[in-house]
Amino acid sequence: MKQILLITDGCSNVGMSPVVAAAHAKSEGISVNVVGVLDYGDVGELGATEIDEIARAGGGLSRLVNMRQLSQTVQMMTRKTVVQTIQLAVQKELKQVLGNGSIEALPPDKRGDVVRVIDELGETSHLQVALLIDASASMKPKLAAVEEAIRDLMLSLQARQGKSEISVFHFPGSKHGDDCVMDLGWTSHLNGVQAIFPRLQMGGTTPTGPAIMQVIDFYRQGDYGRQSRDETDGMMSGYVV
Amino acid sequence: MATSFKIDLRHGMVVTGKWKNGRYRIERLLGEGANGKVYLVQRDRNWFALKVGSDAIDLQSEINVLQSIAKQKRQGHEPFLFDVDDLYGPDGREYPFYIMRYVLGSTLADYLKKQGAEWFPLVGLNLLGKLAKLHHAGWVFGDLKVENVLVADYGHVELVDYGGVTAVGKSIRQFTEIYDRGYWNGGSRSADAKYDLFSFGVLCIQLYEAKRLHQLTKELLPQNRSAAELIQIAEESPVLRPVAGWLRKAFDGQFTDAGDAAEAWRMLMHRRDTHRTSATPAWLKGLVATSAVLLATTVFWLLRNVL
Repeated sequence: MKQILLITDGCSNVGMSPVVAAAHAKSEGISVNVVGVLDYGDVGELGATEIDEIARAGGGLSRLVNMRQLSQTVQMMTRKTVVQTIQLAVQKELKQVLGNGSIEALPPDKRGDVVRVIDELGETSHLQVALLIDASASMKPKLAAVEEAIRDLMLSLQARQGKSEISVFHFPGSKHGDDCVMDLGWTSHLNGVQAIFPRLQMGGTTPTGPAIMQVIDFYRQGDYGRQSRDETDGMMSGYVV
Repeated sequence: MATSFKIDLRHGMVVTGKWKNGRYRIERLLGEGANGKVYLVQRDRNWFALKVGSDAIDLQSEINVLQSIAKQKRQGHEPFLFDVDDLYGPDGREYPFYIMRYVLGSTLADYLKKQGAEWFPLVGLNLLGKLAKLHHAGWVFGDLKVENVLVADYGHVELVDYGGVTAVGKSIRQFTEIYDRGYWNGGSRSADAKYDLFSFGVLCIQLYEAKRLHQLTKELLPQNRSAAELIQIAEESPVLRPVAGWLRKAFDGQFTDAGDAAEAWRMLMHRRDTHRTSATPAWLKGLVATSAVLLATTVFWLLRNVL
């Protein structure tokens, strides 16, 4: 199971639409969840709409939360999306067996067996979550809370019976125009990781769409192994390693 | 998660099960959990609690746990899951629900406020007993908190909201941050008996030092949260000081299970200082002071004679 979790506080303003990028992710079998972090005001109507649309296009969930709720939200969203992903797969199977895909259409006593399978798979299947963090200037005071939420998520994932891995990216990359930078490759523990975001140069732009595309690429490379990494004209290797 | 949960059933409404046609008259809202709302309902002049959810999978998952527990309790227990069905909400949508036994009681905090802190040791023991039974059957309650404990007359305890109940060894399904072992850097979020005992410890502090606990969550940096901070609150609290040693063990995971923990708690109860009824009378204090003065005078006289 693959997820991208985007944490942002506003609107994208450069490059490809993040909604299109999220739809790409979905077609690759990656669910996109979006958390909009509020501080005192809100993300604005435009930001809220975008956040909602990215998640819809990416087959995931979206939430607007303040910083105190961040850890809990990230943790529960990830969990819910795992269940949803499995639910979709199970429903597909059910459609073949029953001709009716919806679990709700089953009588309650039959539903129990199906849900037992969903719960079991949710607990034991391999899960990868790529966290994509908006590190534009307005997010700077919130990064400590974001880091805390990432550590908290890792703690929850470690309790699962199945293998769980996270990776962390932030965007914008640098003045040279990279869309996003990897801070942490696939890992299943954060022991010994002192700081996830050591020294960030806060850029002014918010290339949410291109950053999502880059994370999709990262997933793809993981799937095809090292070989394809060489084929990508050295562009990725610069900031992925 | 605080999902957009719109169903709102009002007093006097009658809901009918889609599959089994059970008819229930809504009396009033009893409470709201993470997975749904709980209403007091009436059927054939009997009272029940009805839990209605917005997500069929979430609610069914909870029902599965309740059914497994019900199967394990073979005899001597009244059933607590009576009906599982779907209903049509006022908005025309279908919502899953289940019917359980209605537990008459007040929330833990209300009970102790009304009946007095002298009930605390007994209620604590009864709660540990409930947890011990659950642990014995291979389950961990998970989301133990003040709101999920109901107390009836004479300190009788019932756990409500089984949404967090998890089989031992799996990841805790639902929890509340301040009661969570992981939040306090006190261990994993895997379900084991010690997880519930940690939450029980936080619950004790929440009952009597809620303000200080809340303050702590605001002031401490995430990496500095620790059980030691919780223990310190307990040691400085008049009501909790007698159980501070017990709490330290609970936070450190030194009890093997709730049965073991309950036994240790019981021992504490029979110690005099736990009940704090034996404050030294004023006349005794006076006597001690007088004799001290006399002793000092005697010593002074003796020394003067020797020199």
